[in-house]
Amino acid sequence: MFTYIIQRLAAAVPTLLGVAVIVFLMLRLLPGDPARVIAGVLASAEDVEGIRRQLGLDQPLVVQFALFLGGLLRLDLGLSARTSQPVMQEVLARLPYTIELAVMATAIATAIGIAAGVVAATHHNSKVDYLVSAASLCGVSMPVYWLGLMLIVVFAINLRWFPAAGADQPASFVLPSLTLASFTVALIARMTRSSMLEVLRQDYVQTARAKGLHERAVLYAHALRNALLPVITIVGLQFGTLLGGAVLTETVFGWPGIGQLLVESIFARDYPLVQGIVLTFSGLFILVNLAVDVLYAYVDPRIHYR
Amino acid sequence: MDESGSTETKLVHRLARRAFLKAALGTGSVALLAAGAPAAPPSPTPVPAKPTEAPKSAAPTSTPTVASAARVGTETLRIAIGIDPDTLEPVGSTTTTVDNIVDYMVESLVVLGEDGNPKPTLAESWDISPDGKTYTFKLRQGVTFHDGAALDAEAVKLSWDRLLNPQIRMPSRSPMEVVEAVTVVNPATVRFQLKNAFPPFVAAMTATRYGVVSPNHAKGFPTTYNQQPVGTGPYQYKSRTKGAEVVVVRNEKYWGRKPYYATVQFRIVPEAATRESLILANQAELIILPPITDIPKLQQNPQIKVLLAPSNRTIFMAIDNTRPGPGKEVKFRQALNHAVDKEGIIKSILFGGAEAMDGVMSPMLFGYCKTGTYAYDPNKAKQMLKDGGWTNVSLKMLHPTGRYVQDAQTSQAIAGNLREVGLNVETATMDWPTYLATITAPPEKCTSDIHMLGWAPSVLDANQSMVQFKKSNWPPSGLATSHYYNPQVEDLINKADQNLNEKERAEQYCQAAKIVWNECPWIFLWVQRFPIVYSAKLKNVGSLAIEKFWAIYAEPI
Repeated sequence: MFTYIIQRLAAAVPTLLGVAVIVFLMLRLLPGDPARVIAGVLASAEDVEGIRRQLGLDQPLVVQFALFLGGLLRLDLGLSARTSQPVMQEVLARLPYTIELAVMATAIATAIGIAAGVVAATHHNSKVDYLVSAASLCGVSMPVYWLGLMLIVVFAINLRWFPAAGADQPASFVLPSLTLASFTVALIARMTRSSMLEVLRQDYVQTARAKGLHERAVLYAHALRNALLPVITIVGLQFGTLLGGAVLTETVFGWPGIGQLLVESIFARDYPLVQGIVLTFSGLFILVNLAVDVLYAYVDPRIHYR
Repeated sequence: MDESGSTETKLVHRLARRAFLKAALGTGSVALLAAGAPAAPPSPTPVPAKPTEAPKSAAPTSTPTVASAARVGTETLRIAIGIDPDTLEPVGSTTTTVDNIVDYMVESLVVLGEDGNPKPTLAESWDISPDGKTYTFKLRQGVTFHDGAALDAEAVKLSWDRLLNPQIRMPSRSPMEVVEAVTVVNPATVRFQLKNAFPPFVAAMTATRYGVVSPNHAKGFPTTYNQQPVGTGPYQYKSRTKGAEVVVVRNEKYWGRKPYYATVQFRIVPEAATRESLILANQAELIILPPITDIPKLQQNPQIKVLLAPSNRTIFMAIDNTRPGPGKEVKFRQALNHAVDKEGIIKSILFGGAEAMDGVMSPMLFGYCKTGTYAYDPNKAKQMLKDGGWTNVSLKMLHPTGRYVQDAQTSQAIAGNLREVGLNVETATMDWPTYLATITAPPEKCTSDIHMLGWAPSVLDANQSMVQFKKSNWPPSGLATSHYYNPQVEDLINKADQNLNEKERAEQYCQAAKIVWNECPWIFLWVQRFPIVYSAKLKNVGSLAIEKFWAIYAEPI
């Protein structure tokens, strides 16, 4: 197992390098002049040229790439074009907020989703089952942007229970996490439900019941444990995606996360910062995938990694 | 942040699913009803009158502590804005909203007043030499920076030498490249030597980026930015959470009148609807730029005051004057001006948040003069097009989305107006950097016939506005994207730019403006207002005409 993990981490390096090259080239293919965008419309031509020189954008592309790669090898992501602060510093300042939101949203979604999925599976074709399916459809279809604003209207403006925006109060995470969880909870509920249904049809479940086991033991010790495997994949993937920053939720709630920073930086043509964020996100996603695979091996004794 | 009023919550509902839906639907319909039945359409106050709600601050910052004792409190004022400052360093200034924050901490020799004129601040008075190339400022005595250093001519020189140094990245150094040298005459007097006469020099100096920072700040960060600026302002830097907030605390040793609020928290909330929610939920006392569609509803809310502040920002459709096609002809451009229903658009899409242009710049600028109106007359437009033989004309229109208030929506309305008079209009939009790059392509390579642009000079002077009509400012040197050129106009503007006689200057700008108005290189649209929304429990909230709120002396009623 240990060697497996090392191998996976080693394989991550060329992946990240590939990401670096792609994002570097893609950014420079985008139309728009970063120097003019940063200087603003009122700036004189000399001001714009001065900025261009300071950002190193007047150098030939090859030189720029060499400098970028050189920096990467030293683990130096450069300076943000807009703020002149180290990219690593900018990313690390916002990353904890995104991680917090991703963790809370995934936790809520997993707890509610699995419970709903189990209930639906065990009451197959009853009213509860249909309700869960309908709610899942809503969760997947509901626009995050609208849901966020509606939660603000009800819980912040009218009931005054939660803050409408920001991350400075202990209860600030509630509304954004609920908004973000809506999509994932539906996915998890659906997956759990169909997975449970399949598992409940298996022979070993009948055997467990025949042995005289309590229904609860049958469900949780035997059925759910096996049904969870595909659900783990979904939870892992969703968590990884959420780490990339849920831009809409962060924007609506003024949550200082990475997603918003990424979008702002793209609009401002802040090349170093976009590069840094994309690389960070790729690295995190690789780690999350690795964690999911390791968890798989732990949960399913049939799986061995060589 | 205990002003959220959770203690006011009277009861806790146990919301069953149906009750929740009812509550949401109920709230939604009430909101819809309220929005759909305005008592009276908001009538924009005629410019350059004072804004709709403008309680004046009791005393400007220039006078030292007034006889009437200033009320001083311990509360926090929460202001919600939409942009996360890229940097708080004055030299790095690029955005007016960020400048608004930095203004709390850093002051310049002169500062822009609510009336649009420079106010003596760190300088008490100044002399201008007859040739207009030497400015001598007498400094205010007894002023200290937040770190305790004294304000003297040496400190001013250090601060200015730093910002003039090409090694430090200053996105908007201009127009101060005109400064040749800053010299210390004596500890209380500092002299600026200019390369040539520059009449708006003192007005230009009010910009936040030319603020005076402490010698420690200047010496400690000679070519880099100090993220915690040290100035002389009524507030000083306390803390910052990137993407979330900037907090400043009152400077107890401030040289002027002390502000009421002990702390000011600037909350970064990019979404306009959420900013509005903050003030409705009593989680902020002042916000800027709410969704413009909600202005009428907010104006009727007794707990809230809406200030549609006059601003320096003109919005127009630049017509490419050099592209092969009818855009080269004056009569065609005049027809376009008659075809657009500006008042209608202002009323129904901008909800009264603008005034139709009646000059080539905002009335808040020095050198503005009223040059006329192009009445909305689609029949006249059709006739003019017929007379000119412009039948079956196709126009390509470009507009940004989300850059200016309702830019996409108003552009669509304008395209509709143009179609009504028989023109074929194709519209396109793109993100701002791409848009900028597209409209600043060299004239031969331009691909659009008309495009929307907004212009907000940072100095309230025609000098920065008339550049739009000079050939020397055609892209790529500048943003005169209509490619307009009239040698007579160019000559008048150049003369006015250097003319030290204020009256003559204004006259020359006016003459140039009249010619430009007749030749209409643009479809002249409107002057945008800057909406500031604040709690009705607050007073002394005003504005500066460069899209800034002025709330340093805000206090509870």
